[in-house]
Amino acid sequence: MDQNRQGARASYIALTIFVAIWILLPSAVRRFNREAFSEFQAPALHLAGKGRDLAKFWELKSRSNEEMAAAGRDLARINAALELKLKSMDDVRRENVRLRDITRYKDTADYLSVVARVATRDSSSWWQRIVIRKGRNDGIRPGSPVIFGITVVGRVTAVHLTTSEVDLVTSPSFRCTAYLEGDEQNRIVLVNGMAGNSLGSARARISVIPYDYFQPAGQTTQVFTTGMGGVFPSRLLLGTLESGPLSAKEANFKEGQLIPARDLYNLQEVSVLVPLHQTPGEALLQTDQLQ
Amino acid sequence: MGWAWLILLLATYPWLFAADLASDFTASSGLVIFISGACIVAPCRRLRRWQSVPFAACVGFLFEARRPIPDGALALFLAGAAIFLTSDKQLIRNTPRMLRAAAASNAAACLIWFTFAAGAAGQLGGAKFFSFIPQLIIPVVLAAVTGVVIYIPVSLVQNAAMDRMGIPPASEGPESP
Repeated sequence: MDQNRQGARASYIALTIFVAIWILLPSAVRRFNREAFSEFQAPALHLAGKGRDLAKFWELKSRSNEEMAAAGRDLARINAALELKLKSMDDVRRENVRLRDITRYKDTADYLSVVARVATRDSSSWWQRIVIRKGRNDGIRPGSPVIFGITVVGRVTAVHLTTSEVDLVTSPSFRCTAYLEGDEQNRIVLVNGMAGNSLGSARARISVIPYDYFQPAGQTTQVFTTGMGGVFPSRLLLGTLESGPLSAKEANFKEGQLIPARDLYNLQEVSVLVPLHQTPGEALLQTDQLQ
Repeated sequence: MGWAWLILLLATYPWLFAADLASDFTASSGLVIFISGACIVAPCRRLRRWQSVPFAACVGFLFEARRPIPDGALALFLAGAAIFLTSDKQLIRNTPRMLRAAAASNAAACLIWFTFAAGAAGQLGGAKFFSFIPQLIIPVVLAAVTGVVIYIPVSLVQNAAMDRMGIPPASEGPESP
């Protein structure tokens, strides 16, 4: 019994020493450890995601020919409408290129779109994130914006070999600048995720809303990205401003809540916009990692 | 058997992954199905201390790897819990005690990661601390309940794995002095 107690005491001392060493270790070692455990779990995540895709495939395969024909007809109609829209956009694009040439405007925000399937979702009071089945091997870089259609989903926070973690718009670590629809002066507001309540729906906070801004009566106010900061392209939809009175936190500004444009936990597929050129944020991240 | 803890970790991983998939379903409610604390109880009964500690630490690292929890916070806590459980096996002598230990260990581990994650998200300072306390209650209670519910099936798989590896069974009676 004494031997057992002595052994336990020695183990506690060893653990304390290990904790001290762990704290003093260079962050690269801890990062390597985290990366190793993430990579260990990656095959299981892929397997689960592919299993879900297979289930969906068989579910679709079991549909009747009539249903498929109806879906094909609807898609053909949508395609025709989109083709018409594309034609009208062609003139706008030519005019845009001409004006850019005249003003010698240099567009730095070029993105490569990488489509990725969602593997899992994970949410608590302090984070809301999804794991996607594309990673470093597919060219994804940390900080890249993640969208679905024209809707902002979030931002890539960690990239592994074949998977990436995406912080959603409602996650407390998410921040970006935005414009409110209906504000003719295009004043900038700030959007950042909020720590959510357990069992409650996740929201984001819109702050620095000018005091003289009022929501248009009877309609929802959409919130768009500004394109400033070089992370998100401009005019992407972040969500809508919650209707009702806005709270005034500071003297000249009001605060409101952002309702995400989509149900972020039901997404099956997202697009990651990987910047073709290195962004200032990435340069800073690289400097941080070197230090 | 030196690598018994690693083989046991591989046997336990499907349960940890199943908990992650369950968390996927509850993501819209902001709940995490956490079972790591309960998974260390059965191995602590039969493995030696030096085997239980790396097993518990790896279980913690697996949970932390994909979540914004400070590195090692949960893993080192579980390692400490493993030392505690292997030092005082009276606490996990029979099934009711094991269930109690699973609930307590899971709830305490949940408290640790939740608090450290809140600290990392900057939600512990000043007035935010008062909104942190009510938020803590639901995940910790859920973890305690999950620990009890999940303990029996997880321990069945773990005991089967340990039987196959030839690890001697734990004594059910009181320990001799």
